[in-house]
Parts: sequence; C-alpha cells; structure tokens
Amino acid sequence: MATKDIKPEDPRIDPKTGEFRVLAPGFTFKTVTAKIADIVLTPTTSLGWFALFSVGGAVATLVIVAVTWLFLKGTGIWAVSQPVGWGFAIINFVWWIGIGHAGTLISAILLLFKQQWRNSINRFAEAMTIFAVVCAGLFPLIHVGRPWLAYWLFPLPNTMNVWPQFRSPLLWDVFAVSTYATISIVFWYVGLIPDFGTMRDRAKTKFAAYIYGLLSLGWRGSVRHWVRYETASLLLAGLATPLVLSVHTVISFDFAVAVIPGWHTTIFPPYFVAGAVYSGFAMVLTLAIPLRKFYHLEALVTDRHMDNMGKVMLTTGLIVAYGYGMEVFMAWYSASHWEFFMMWNRMFGPMGWSYWVLILCNIAIPLTTLWVRKWRTNMTFMFVMSLIVNTGMWFERFVIVVTSLYRDFLPSSWGTYRATKWDYMTYFGTMGLFTALFLLFVRFLPMIPMNEIKMMLPSAKITAKAKPAVGAGD
Amino acid sequence: MSSEHGNGMIKDVSGAEDSSAFPAGMTTQKATSTAEAPLTLDQVRTKLSGVKGKRYWRSIDELAGTPEFEAAVAKEFPDAAAEWVDPVSRRGFLKLMSASLALAGLAGCTKQPDEPIYPYVRQPEDLVLGKANYFATAHPFPTGGLPLLVKSDAYRPIKLDGNPDHPYNLGSSDIFAQATLLDLYDPDRSQHATLRGTTTEYVDFLGAYRDRLNEGKKDGGEGLYFLSTSFTSPTLQRQWIEAQKAYPKARLVQYDPALAGTAFSKGVSPQYSLEGADVIVALDADFLSGAGYPGFHKLTREYAARRKNPAKGMNRLYSVESTPSTTGLKAEHRLGLRASEIPAFAAALAVAVGAAGISAPAYSWSAEQTKFLGVLAKDLKANAGKSVVIPGLYQDPSVAALALAINDALGNVGKTVTALVETDGLPFASPDQIGDLKALVADLNAGKVDWLVMLNSNPVYDAPADLEFKTALGKAKVSVHLGSHIDETGAEAIWHVPAAHYLESWSDVRAYDGSVSVIQPMIEPLYGGHTAHDLIQAMLDEPQTSAYEAVRTTWKSTIAKGGEFELGWRKALHKGWIDGTANTVAASMKPGAVKVPTPLPKEAFELIFRPDPNIYDGRYSNVGWLQELPKPVTNLAWDNAALVSGATLTKLGIEEGEILEITVGGRKVKTPVLVAPGHPDNAATLHLGYGREAAGRVGSGTGFNAYLVRTSDAPFYTTGSAVKVEGKWGIAVTKSHFQDHRSKMEGGDGSGTHSLEGNEAETRGVIRSATLEEYKANPGFANEGEEHPKVERDNSMFPNWEYKDNAWGMSIDLNSCTGCNACIVGCYAENNIAVVGKQQVRIGRNMQWLRIDTYFEGDLAAPKAHFQPMACQHCENAPCEQVCPVGATVHTPEGINTMVYNRCVGTRYCANNCPYKVRRFNFLLFSDYETESLKLMRNPDVSVRSRGVMEKCSYCVQRISEAKIDADKENRAIRDGEVVTACQQACPASAITFGNINDKTSKVATLLAEERTYSVLADLNTRPRTQYTAAVLNPNPELAEAPVEHAPAKG
Repeated sequence: MATKDIKPEDPRIDPKTGEFRVLAPGFTFKTVTAKIADIVLTPTTSLGWFALFSVGGAVATLVIVAVTWLFLKGTGIWAVSQPVGWGFAIINFVWWIGIGHAGTLISAILLLFKQQWRNSINRFAEAMTIFAVVCAGLFPLIHVGRPWLAYWLFPLPNTMNVWPQFRSPLLWDVFAVSTYATISIVFWYVGLIPDFGTMRDRAKTKFAAYIYGLLSLGWRGSVRHWVRYETASLLLAGLATPLVLSVHTVISFDFAVAVIPGWHTTIFPPYFVAGAVYSGFAMVLTLAIPLRKFYHLEALVTDRHMDNMGKVMLTTGLIVAYGYGMEVFMAWYSASHWEFFMMWNRMFGPMGWSYWVLILCNIAIPLTTLWVRKWRTNMTFMFVMSLIVNTGMWFERFVIVVTSLYRDFLPSSWGTYRATKWDYMTYFGTMGLFTALFLLFVRFLPMIPMNEIKMMLPSAKITAKAKPAVGAGD
Repeated sequence: MSSEHGNGMIKDVSGAEDSSAFPAGMTTQKATSTAEAPLTLDQVRTKLSGVKGKRYWRSIDELAGTPEFEAAVAKEFPDAAAEWVDPVSRRGFLKLMSASLALAGLAGCTKQPDEPIYPYVRQPEDLVLGKANYFATAHPFPTGGLPLLVKSDAYRPIKLDGNPDHPYNLGSSDIFAQATLLDLYDPDRSQHATLRGTTTEYVDFLGAYRDRLNEGKKDGGEGLYFLSTSFTSPTLQRQWIEAQKAYPKARLVQYDPALAGTAFSKGVSPQYSLEGADVIVALDADFLSGAGYPGFHKLTREYAARRKNPAKGMNRLYSVESTPSTTGLKAEHRLGLRASEIPAFAAALAVAVGAAGISAPAYSWSAEQTKFLGVLAKDLKANAGKSVVIPGLYQDPSVAALALAINDALGNVGKTVTALVETDGLPFASPDQIGDLKALVADLNAGKVDWLVMLNSNPVYDAPADLEFKTALGKAKVSVHLGSHIDETGAEAIWHVPAAHYLESWSDVRAYDGSVSVIQPMIEPLYGGHTAHDLIQAMLDEPQTSAYEAVRTTWKSTIAKGGEFELGWRKALHKGWIDGTANTVAASMKPGAVKVPTPLPKEAFELIFRPDPNIYDGRYSNVGWLQELPKPVTNLAWDNAALVSGATLTKLGIEEGEILEITVGGRKVKTPVLVAPGHPDNAATLHLGYGREAAGRVGSGTGFNAYLVRTSDAPFYTTGSAVKVEGKWGIAVTKSHFQDHRSKMEGGDGSGTHSLEGNEAETRGVIRSATLEEYKANPGFANEGEEHPKVERDNSMFPNWEYKDNAWGMSIDLNSCTGCNACIVGCYAENNIAVVGKQQVRIGRNMQWLRIDTYFEGDLAAPKAHFQPMACQHCENAPCEQVCPVGATVHTPEGINTMVYNRCVGTRYCANNCPYKVRRFNFLLFSDYETESLKLMRNPDVSVRSRGVMEKCSYCVQRISEAKIDADKENRAIRDGEVVTACQQACPASAITFGNINDKTSKVATLLAEERTYSVLADLNTRPRTQYTAAVLNPNPELAEAPVEHAPAKG
C-alpha cells in the first residue's frame, strides 16, 4: 500500500507489510511499561498540565453558573421559543453522544475485528467516550422545563402506577444512553484492571499503591486472570458493538419519529451513526495529536494511527455526504411540498448560512483532502481537520434541530432562533468540563493500555518453544 | 433577551447596593425640586425611603412613568431599562428593587384585615362554593353599552360574557368587554383619595366639595366645571339635568378623545340592519373588527349570517377605506383611499346613485378608482332597497350625511337603515365636544374656572395638543380627578378620588338599540372607589342618595308601567334590561345639507388618527391581555407604530422598526414604522392610546403618544411631514418575523405581489376559498386534491377507538370569522392565561392558546386577507401524544387531547411535533403568583400553570365537566349546545361551533359533514377534530381582477 509520496525505505514503514508501523521498533515490555506508567507515576506535574487544567476548570464553572441560573429561572433563559422548542441543549446532547461513539467503536468493534492498531488509542478514546457521555447526559436532564422531575422519565415503580410513555423516542433515549454509559464504564474499567495491577506494583508512594491496589481488584497476572480478562473483554466488546449502532440510531429516532419535515426521514439511523463515528474520530484526533506531542508518544501512537483514523473519517464522511445527498434528492423525488420547502428553506432561507457551514466543514474540506496520505500523516493538518469536522458535525445537528423547526407546516407560526449567552455558556462549559475530566484521566490513569501494547510486541508472540515471557507485569 | 437582562440585573443591583453607602438624604431636595435634572437611583431610593407603608406602590406609580425615573433606571441599570417596560421581568425587577429599598413599604397592595376573621357559620343562601352564579349587568362603552352576563364565583366576578338573552348581542362580546375583568382587578388602580399627592380620605374631599357646592348655591354654580367622558348612563344624565337646575351656571363638558368630532358624538346614530342587505358598502367604516364601531355585535352577526350558507345567496361587501381594517380585508372588493379622499368619494358615489342636492368636489380620481365607483354605483342601484351604505365613524361628519343621502336615494331607509327616536326623552348628545373643550380651556386660561371636576377622563393625556390642557389645568383653583388610576391627569389634579369600576357600582347604560341595561355591581369596591353618580348626586337635594337609589328613581315610572315596580325591577335585573326602553324607529330620516371637504393635496403626507384597536383611546393601557393581543391586520402587540404602505416605506427610505419623526405644525413625535398591507400611499396611520406615562406597570412606556400631534381642528386626519431619524424600536409582531423576505423569496416576483407566507399558505392548502361561481360549479372544492376523500379518513388498519357517548369536535367557519379577536380575550379570561411581556412576545413566547392566523392574498398594496382562528386541533391521531415520554398529554375517552399539567416535565417534544404549533410552553414563570388582586380574578376551575409546563387549548374541558355533572344529575345525555367554549361564546359572528360529533344530528356534526369543511394539513393523517369551513367570496364579476387561479386545495 505504499504510495509514491512515502518511500519504502522510510523508517516509519514496516518493511514486512509496507504500511506504517503500529509501534515504533525497539520497544520491550519494560520500556513500554516505563513509557506509559511513568507519565502517571511521576511526582512532578508539568506546568502546562496545570495551565490547561485551570483553563478547563475555569470554563467548566460556566456550566455551573449557567445551570444554576437555569434552575432558578427556567429554560426561558435559553433561546428556545415557539416554534423552535429545542435548541442548543439537544444539539449539544447529540453532538457529545456522537463524539463518544468513536471510543466504543475503537474499543469494541475493532477488538472483534482484531485490529491491533486500535490498542494504542483504545484507552483514551474510551475515556473520551465516557466524558463525552457525561457531558451529553447533562443536557437531557437540564433541558426539561422542570428538571427536578426529570426522574419521571425512568420507569420507577410508584404508588400511582404511572409509567413512562413507552412510545416516546425520548424514553428510548433514556434507556439507550444509560445502557451506553454503563457498558462504556464497565468495559473501560475492565480493560484497566491489568494496568492497575502494573501501576500498583510500580507505585512509589504507599497511597498510590493502595488506591491502584484497590482498583486492580487483586490482579496478579496469573494465567487464569488473563483468561478471564480476555473472555470478559470479548463479551463486553460483544455487548458494546451493537450499542455503537443502536445508541445513535435511537437518538436519530428523536427526530425520525416526529412528523416535522426535515426530521421525518428513514435515512436518519445510518446517517446518524456514520456522523457519530465521523465526529468521534475527529475528536480522537483532536485529543491524540496534542497528547502524542506533549508526552512524546510518537512511538506508540504512530502515523499508522493517524493514517487509519483519517481513512475511517473519510469513509464515514462519505456516508454522511451520501446522507446529505439523499436528503436533497428525496426532497425532490418525494414530490412532497413539505420536504421540498424544508430543503429549500434549509439551504436558502434566513438561516441558510448554517447549512453551508455544515457542507463546507463536513464535505467540502475533509472529503477533498483526506484522500492524500501525506496529509493524513501531517499532524497540523489532521489537527485542524479534526476541529473543522467537529464544527461541521455540530452544525449538522444545529441544521437538523433548528432549521427544521423554525419554519414548519403553518406559515403563521414561523419564527427564528438566536442563541443567548446562557446557551453559549452551557455549551462551552461542557467543553471545559470535558477538558478537565480528560486531563485528570491523563494524569492519574495510564492513557495507553500497557498490557495490550505489550501483546503486540514481538516478544509476546508465543511460539512452541518460547520461554514464558518474563517481566510482563513490569 | 430577557435572560441576559436578568443577569445584568443581578449584577447591577448589587452594584447599586454598594453605592447606597452614600449618606441618604444628601441629594433628596435636588431630585424633587428640579424636574429637568435626571434622577440618580440613589435619589429615587431616598425619595422612596421617606414613604411609609402602603404608599410605596402609589409612589412607584408616580415615579415609574416619569422620564426622569426611566432615565435614572436606564443610567444605573443599562439593561434593566428595557425590563422596566416588560411587566413580567419587571416583577423580578421589583423584587430585586424592593430588596434594596428596605422598609420602603412592601405591604403589597391588598390589605389584610387587622381583626380576626372567621369563615361562614351559616352559608349564604345563594352561595354554593364551587358553583358559580351568573348575574346580568352591562359594560358601558361610549359607542353603546354591551349587556353582559357575569360569572361570579364566591362573589368574585371571574368571567364576563355577553347576555345571551339580550336581543342586541345574543351573548356575544368583544375584546374590551372581556378585558374589563382584568381592568377591575388591576393592581395599579388607585386606592386612596389624595390631596396634592398625599393620601387623604374621601370624606375630606367630600367636605371640601360640599362646602364649595353650598357656596355655589348662591351664585348658581358660577365657576363650577365638570369635564367627563360621554355620559353613557341615563341616570347620570338625569342627575345632571337636575343638578343643572340647582346650579344653572355650572358647566358640563363631555369629551371622548376617540369620538369627539364624529357624527356619532353629535347624536347621529342610525341603525343598520344587514339581514336584508345584499350589497354592503363600508365607507371607511370598520364595523367588523371591534366594539369601537357602534352596533358592532349586531352588524357582525348579521353580516356573518348571510355568509353561512352561500348556496342560499350571500351578501357582497365593498369597502372603501383608509387604514386597513379587517372589514376591508374581508370585503369582496376593497378600495384603499386616503382618509381625506373618502368624503369626496362618498359624494361622488352619492351623485352617481342619484342622491339629490349633493355636489361632489372635483377631484382627479384614477382610472381604477373611477371604475370602482362606477361598478359600485351600478351594483347599489341594482340592489336598491336591498343594500346599505355604512359611513365611517372616524370620518368627517359629512360622510355620515352622504351615506344617509345614498341610502335615502336607494330607498334603503326604513329597510336596512332606520333612525331611532329616543322614547324616554333624555336626549343627551353634545353637538360639539371639541368646541366645548376649547371653551373650557379658554375659561381655564381666563381664570374663570374655580373648581374643575374631571370624571373618568384623562385630558392631560388625551386632549388635543394645541389646547395645552396641562398648562390650563394649573390655572383652575381646585381641580378634582375621579379616576381609576392616578394617571397623567390624576397626578396633576389637586384632588384625586379613586373611581369605582363599573363592576363595583350601580349604574345603567343604553345598548345600540337603545334598550337600557341596569349595571349591577358584582363586588364591593375593592379600593372603596366612588362614581360620577356620587359626585353629581352631591349637588342635589338628597346628596346621600346612592347610585342604586338613583338608578331606581330614573326607571321607576318606566318599569311601573308594566306592573308593580319592585317586581319589574327584579325582573329587569334578572333579565339584564328594562322592557320598553328600546328606542322606536322613526318613520323616515332625511339627510340634511352636506358640506363635503375637499381632499388634501395628493402630494401632502397624510396622517390618519384612529383609536387603537386594542387599548382604544388609552383607557385600557394597563390591561395586559389587550396589550399582548396581536392587533388585527398588523399582528403587532405591546406598541403602536406608524402604519404605512410598502411603497411609502420605500419612499421614506426606512425599514420596519426604524424610527420616523412626524411633525405636524411644529409638534413632533417619534414613532416606529410598520407596514400595513393595503394602507394608502403617502399616508400614515397613528393609533391613539399609547405612549402613556402613568398608565401603570403594564401600560406605561409602551408605544408612542399620537395625541402629541393631534390637534383640535383635525381630529381624524391632517397633513404633516415624516422623516427618518436614527434609532430602532424593537416591535413585537407575532406573525412573520421576516418582513424583508416578503417579496424576495420563492413564489414572489420581487414586487411584493406575493408574500412567501401567503403563497405557502395557499400551496399548502392551509387556507382554502372559492368564489361563489366556483363554489356553485364545484361544491366540493375545499377537499379537492386531497389524497383521501373526506369520508375515508378514519379508515385505518387498526381499529379506531369507539366513542360510546360523546366525541367532542369543533367547526370554525372561515367565511364568518372577521378576525375581531374577541375569542382570544375570552380565552385569556376563561383559562387563566398568563401575560408574558413584550420581550417574550418578540422572541415568540406569547401564551395565547388561540391565535388568529392572518394570511394575505394578492397584491401587497391591495390585499385580501384570510383569518383563521387556530387553536389545538385535538387530533384523533395526535403527534404530540406519541412523543411525550411521561404521558403528560393523552387522549381522553371523549376524544380530547388533554394536558396533564402536573405530570408534564417540560421536554417540549410535543410542541416541536405539533404541526399546528398551538402548544404553549411556560419558558419562565409567566403566571403571576404574587399579585393579590389577580388571584381573585382567576377561574378556579382551571389550574394556573407554573414554569416548565406545556399548555394549550383544552376545548374548555372545565365547561364540559360542568355540563356532564349537570347531565349526570338529571340522568340524561348532554344536550347539543349545552357546552359552549369560551371562544365560541365570545364570537359575535358565531363562527365557532362546538359539540358532540358522535351525535350526527348535532349542529357541529352537520357542519363538519358539509362539503365545504376541510381539515388543515389533512395529509398528515392527524385527523383533527377542529375543522374549517372554507370561505366563499361573492365578487362582482365586473370588478374581477386578473382572473385568480384557484389551484386545487392540495398541489
């Protein structure tokens, strides 16, 4: 697969396969462990980390302020109105949930497909999933008019015998998202157990050893442990795999089940899933590129990862583009005036600009450039691209939510939407929350699964006469 | 957006508290002595801090409206200045204010008794708690009283509706009558008599007044002047006539800002009967849009009656009008003329139909206008005796005379037009209200006025600007203001006496047909108010005689004619009117000599003054329901604006919402601009009643004051100039927010011929109409092009729910609806709907459950409009129900789509999924839970919705329940017509019919089965229970414009 722009003798290329190496050569069990665990176990924390954490924390306080005011005053502090009853809260919810999808896809589907390159990015991608779900999960709770009663969405037994209304997609959301959050956390934690064992053994302070010891659930690295671990991972991967497809499918039902033109579309489930993966990989890149640079992880997160993620984005981006194309085509082909007007208004109405931002960020820029391998391995380019795609995907949800609602069936009720500062504060606040959580993760947990990297080392390959690997737990 | 202000508010208030460290009192004197210097907030606070207890509110009122105060607020609270004119956020603002104004007097406005109170030991005989009583009374209004039936719950009036037994209105009402309920409970009403601004007692005033009257006995009342709005009460008229005998030199001036100068105010009030009228011509007469036109209820009913069954023939309405009104937009043919051209046009029409002795001023009519005139005259002559010409109220009196001449020439007099002879001999019209007022001002300036007693009038605000009434008032030795509020005049007068509301006191009033209704009080005066009866009676021999006795005295002989007085009196109170008081019809009526004014030069910029469609002459400024009500035609709420045509807008080089400075003879006023489709070019309409400074918390600071440029010589129209000035005024228009796209988008040709919304409404089959010819050729036009024939729409793979007893449904006749808004205000009162304030309306959060969608058709310069009342459609297959995650909106076994407020968590999914966008969400705490007086007003059968809850039209489910209980008790089914929804009850055109569609003989089932009845958005398979009867127009083929293509309903 070597292309002309990369010479076969390039050290980044694995001569056996002709592709980028998944791991730089020269790693041993010991160096892998040292490289990854030392980032966490070092007693000194870099000033850069503190600086970023302060920024993230400060921005996260915005969400606290905004939500406090929201609870005091009501959803009216946002721009939601008639006819646009949903605004930033739902847009952000779908956006964050979508971002989470890449982590699950990497940890589950790629595991089942034995894509070993996933190992390096699996852990932090999954952490990203969890934090994204945390941010996403906030919105459905706070966006309701009476948040103190939001628990009514759960089927809790009660003396009144009142149950939720099971035909509502919002209720399906509750199940989908809570299942997703649970499985993601469990899967992530199970994957961490062997590494917690390593951390416990290498910890330099008693306190750290105690905590990691607790978390490692008595991991000793015995064969029986490894067998159980592998089985559990496979089972969880099996459970998580359908979730990659189902969660965003269910979320797309929020729209597809409704009668509103622009929402009422059968193409939404696949197109939402593809979009989710698209934005999720973009977010993985947004995180991986700086991480790799600051923690000098180029040998572990190699150009192969960048290249592959670029390819996944290209693929999912094309699916998304197909979705957009089909929407436009169906608007015409359906001969339905509603659909036709909706599409026309989406493109050329007063908020048409948002559609073109979406096309620019999701299609025009990435899908023309991601074909080039040289650019896929250019970190600056990929970083900028990841931000563009994430912007584009946010606008996709904006276009779906707002431009479908603001001019629907009865022209008398047309309105508009203009976000307030509270909308922005809540949105940016969750970004700060995400950043802060992610930085905590980077500081206190091994961001790359040591055990899985080690399995990829040549010394881990078990041959008939090989001696048992020594020092695997180092 | 208010939320942003909200934040700013908190921040700024805390800042203000910091500044309160300055020694109080330091700046007090300065603030009060120099009116010019802007107050600082500190000064405001110091000023208030000297005020004790209950005076807090009054003082806030005094201050609130003044420019200095607003400037102070704007300066210290840059964001909060806008809040101040926004009643909802203002409540929050006041809360915060009061925190920093510690102990300034926060007792609230309703006093709690100091003594212990006990519940009933023995319940009053007629009171069953939870069961309402109904009493007949009447709403006095200058264009005629409206007989009412008041729903009273535990002795609190909670709903006003027309008296269904009264032959004049047959139960219908109008926005003003409906809204006076809120006016009654207005927390800003004045609560104490004041002397030079300080609280005093009514007896103190009475003492001074009696002393003056005793003194006046000697010289016949020299120097005693009374200024009042038109006396609508025959008893008051009688009392005055008697008072005049005792004080021959006392003077009474009646002045109604809206009516002064009209033929009506001079006593010309012919009665029109539209039952036999095949052709109706409105000469700037807006008789379909509200009670501002005398006889509105009857005229609208009779107009609509002739349009309900087009197959049996229907009337044809021509309208020649200046300011676009719903009358003009409903008309088959509308000619837009400038107001000053109307008398000349009327004269030309009179000549054309052959009225004797009329000479029309020469005027260069355009070809279109000439053609219209010719066709109109021809059609009138062809329908001689079966036609009617109705003159405009706010027009030169010559128009009324010319209309009479035309009607006379056509032989309509005695058939469709009749004159009334007042039977009981109390003629009481002032031939020249403006002249009288001028004379009063002259006397004031000459120092001849010793006492000026102003009864329920507000001349400081609404007198013609050239009279400089405020200055003149200062020259009266003693001025007395009897009024419900300490308004602009109340603040200037030396004495202020709180007036009792009409629902608090005895009086009487004449309806349009002359019949007298006794106004029964429904509640003890909330704030101990007094009435004009009391003040006039004080001049008589028995000054203590109450209004009750006075009214009885007036009608004693009339009632006694029909038998025993007490019996007759009780019967009159019960029925709502006194038999034998309706005026008799004169045998004939002859037009007098007419002097027709020539139109203003064509190049002159014409300014047309009209009372506001919602707040009338300003008297309803503080009524939130009316402020928030989208005005007919423009859908503007909370403000007035200079209404102009699209062409004039372009000519002035201004955009909607920008500011125009209007100059009339050196007087200036700044106003925002709004396009009114169909407005004549080179003219602007200024609605009166806005720009008040002391209306109260709701009305102060809304709109601009058109009285500032209205002079005594030109009450209806004048010339002036208009130039654009810097600035923008955020106007709240509830329909399209995209005026700039009106002519630029798909379906439009860029010249304003189509609006995007109108075009879409037609394409989407939201509005369906046909001409009479088309209807006759194709009676099923309204359902043409639907994918499924009407009868098949209930077919489904799944079994339908079986309705055993009742299945509620509604039919709305689009041919009858005139867009008068009475239904919306009725709904406000019935369903405890919150008022949200201008800022919230601007971003689309108005809470009306019912709205009247207005779609314009045709040329922007000469449109037709379709009015479509739109509330919850109660879909059989409701999209909202399916998506609610908690089941807070569900279908009842009787087919009502119902909201369970206490189950709603507020996801707003239902509102998103509602194709009709009729769901309303409490984005903030819109309902007022604090104001004590408003609690009394609420309908106890309807929950007051808190924040975060969805709400919508419930088909007045509380009324259904009541009917069901009654029917259950009698072990019978609910009768057809037993359940009347609030909107249906208010509608003067009977456009709304409600009932059980399961009963195929019910009126609503018959209407829904009609071929003309269609469902809006039927192709979504929502199967709405509310369906619409398509309009049929009866155009004159000779005036056919370019043939209008009526595409099949669904394309």
